[in-house]
Amino acid sequence: MEEMLEPNEMIIHLGPQHPMQPGPFRLNLKLKGETIMDAEVEMGYIHKGIEKILENRTYLQGITIVDRICYLVALTNEECYVGCVEKLLDLEPPERAQYIRVIVEELSRLQSHLLGLGEYGEFIGFVSMFMYTIKEREDILTLIDMVTGARITHSYLRFGGVRADLPDGFKEKAIPILNNLKKAINDYEEMFNSDTIYRERTIGIGVLSADDAKSLGVSGPVLRATGVPYDIRKVEPYLVYKDLDFKVCTETAGDCFARVQVRLNEMRESIHIIEQCLDMIPNGPIFPEGTPYGRRTPVMRVPAGEVFHRVEDPRGEMGMYMVSDGSDKPYRVKVKGPYYPTLQALPPLIIGTTVADMVSIAGSMDGCTSEVDR
Amino acid sequence: MAVNIPEFIIPLIPWIRGTVGLVLVGAIFMGGMAAVWIERKLSADIQLRYGPSRVGKFGLLQLVADAIKLFTKEDVRPRNADRFLYDNAPVFMLTSLFLMLVAIPVGAVFINGVEYPLAVTEMDISVLFIEAVSAINIFGIFMAAYGSNNKYSLLGAFRNFARMIGYEVPLGIAVVSVAVMTGSLNIIDITSAQGTFVWNIFLQPIGFVVFFIALMADLGRLPFDQNESEEELVAGWVTEYTGMRFGLVFFAEYMHMILGAFLVALLFLGGWNVPAFVANNAVLGLIAPTGVLLLKTVLVLMTIIGMRWAVPRFRIDQVVDMSWKKLLPLSLLNLVWAVGLGLYLGA
Repeated sequence: MEEMLEPNEMIIHLGPQHPMQPGPFRLNLKLKGETIMDAEVEMGYIHKGIEKILENRTYLQGITIVDRICYLVALTNEECYVGCVEKLLDLEPPERAQYIRVIVEELSRLQSHLLGLGEYGEFIGFVSMFMYTIKEREDILTLIDMVTGARITHSYLRFGGVRADLPDGFKEKAIPILNNLKKAINDYEEMFNSDTIYRERTIGIGVLSADDAKSLGVSGPVLRATGVPYDIRKVEPYLVYKDLDFKVCTETAGDCFARVQVRLNEMRESIHIIEQCLDMIPNGPIFPEGTPYGRRTPVMRVPAGEVFHRVEDPRGEMGMYMVSDGSDKPYRVKVKGPYYPTLQALPPLIIGTTVADMVSIAGSMDGCTSEVDR
Repeated sequence: MAVNIPEFIIPLIPWIRGTVGLVLVGAIFMGGMAAVWIERKLSADIQLRYGPSRVGKFGLLQLVADAIKLFTKEDVRPRNADRFLYDNAPVFMLTSLFLMLVAIPVGAVFINGVEYPLAVTEMDISVLFIEAVSAINIFGIFMAAYGSNNKYSLLGAFRNFARMIGYEVPLGIAVVSVAVMTGSLNIIDITSAQGTFVWNIFLQPIGFVVFFIALMADLGRLPFDQNESEEELVAGWVTEYTGMRFGLVFFAEYMHMILGAFLVALLFLGGWNVPAFVANNAVLGLIAPTGVLLLKTVLVLMTIIGMRWAVPRFRIDQVVDMSWKKLLPLSLLNLVWAVGLGLYLGA
């Protein structure tokens, strides 16, 4: 990059620490005035070696580690890991546990999208948006806290079930909070749709075509904003998603505005899913009966084999490939996160735009660098 | 402005002006602190927070605590900074603001129904003078950015220049429109001519809108804070500043805001004009006009501050676009209207 500089160009290194970044990564930009001539993403600043750590921990200990892949979506990470082990064990959680899992995972999706929206508002200069969404997110975190006992890293799912049942009075507490959130989402949508400056900053900015998105392997809201109705919860249903009524939210424009709109609609669908679950959830055990697996199984041996399991993360398709050699530790775990491909779509989108648009585009991707590096 | 000044006051006039000036320099610093406090409380209200509430009653002493912090911080200077430019940029900016302060009347007293404006100087072209010294403020910004030897700073300063060139033109034309209608470039004349209720905002609504938007852009407040845009350029042209140098730059921004609010109140909102019965009252005539002006100024200030927390930020090319394609034609239209109105009113 350096050698090809013309006299009126300069290279600016955004990061590893920069206000616009969701985590440390470096974005090397070649600027000509304000225009971005070339862009290059460098990752690896927050590599935690999670895949290697998992090989050296028992299966149960692994749950705590996968929480840390991305602190915003700890529950979906757990679902992916636990799902792998359950496939290897050929174990199906009882209905009640599945419903509880869906509830907490959708709550987790809500809080992740809320934070993403707030951050996006901040990136384009509307600082108050962050405060508005963070206030609603606090309520959602309180709900998650009620169930799992923690706000961010939960260690809640177990092989074949969940650690604890729903607390008493959860439904009564959840319904008003969800109703409030519905109103808040309508407010956000109205705010976004009526604000001229917001529309000027987002409509037609960072347009990703459906073909490009597919060939880069982009998934999640960024892909759905291009018009591709791809959602693991529909394509390859896990848990009880096949019994639940929800639709895959898509937009066709593929720009920043569409990406935010998809997230808003997805939040509505998540609320709808949680409401159904609260109504439909059956009574019963939270662990399968007649199996040795319970909440206290510190050492367990998993049959040899290999398996791939994927779930719908708030950012897209989260997959894990697990190889077991029959011991009490996994032989190999490979994590396929959703944001790594999305980050690869960033440089082609921002070349030719300005620094301000770069922030808008990167923000609308709603990234999590922690999960890219793992 | 010709006023009947009592015989015994004439030798005292320079002393009075000097005293007003000294008081103003102190008052503007206090005003800057008050503006910061207002901003914090108002933004907290908009964002569903409490804002400062621990230091002093209602967090009023928070600013004192901040000032102590800024004064005691290490003065870090980037190794490759241009020392002269880097050190003197805040001083330069403050100087330009004090020059502005010299020409702006901050109130008036009525003695026996005769108006005595409280201004340090009374020059015939004060409006032009204010515009000019307000515009050289930007050289301080460029000095700071160039002296910092930082790419973010430089980008911020370039944005600032692009914006300033775009917005000084409609701002100037909006001011000229007012001056043309009144027939004077003296800000005191312009204010006095408005009377109690016939404010320029009613006579030139388009001019007011143009002036206010251009002023916001001039002050670098959201949605026009591209030069500092935190999420893009870290802190724009102030990136490398710390300690009291940052404090000065920070205060300069708020002082500029206060002076801008004064300009809006004086040029468009009727300034200190009060009904005749108040002006003729011995006690009220001393207090009410200044109070009215300050009240208007604070309201304008709160509008400017509140705007920051309620809208996203424009992109710099959209800002420049808006200036040349929308504000400039509007301001020219307003100039034609002002000339016509001036002829009609004058006839």
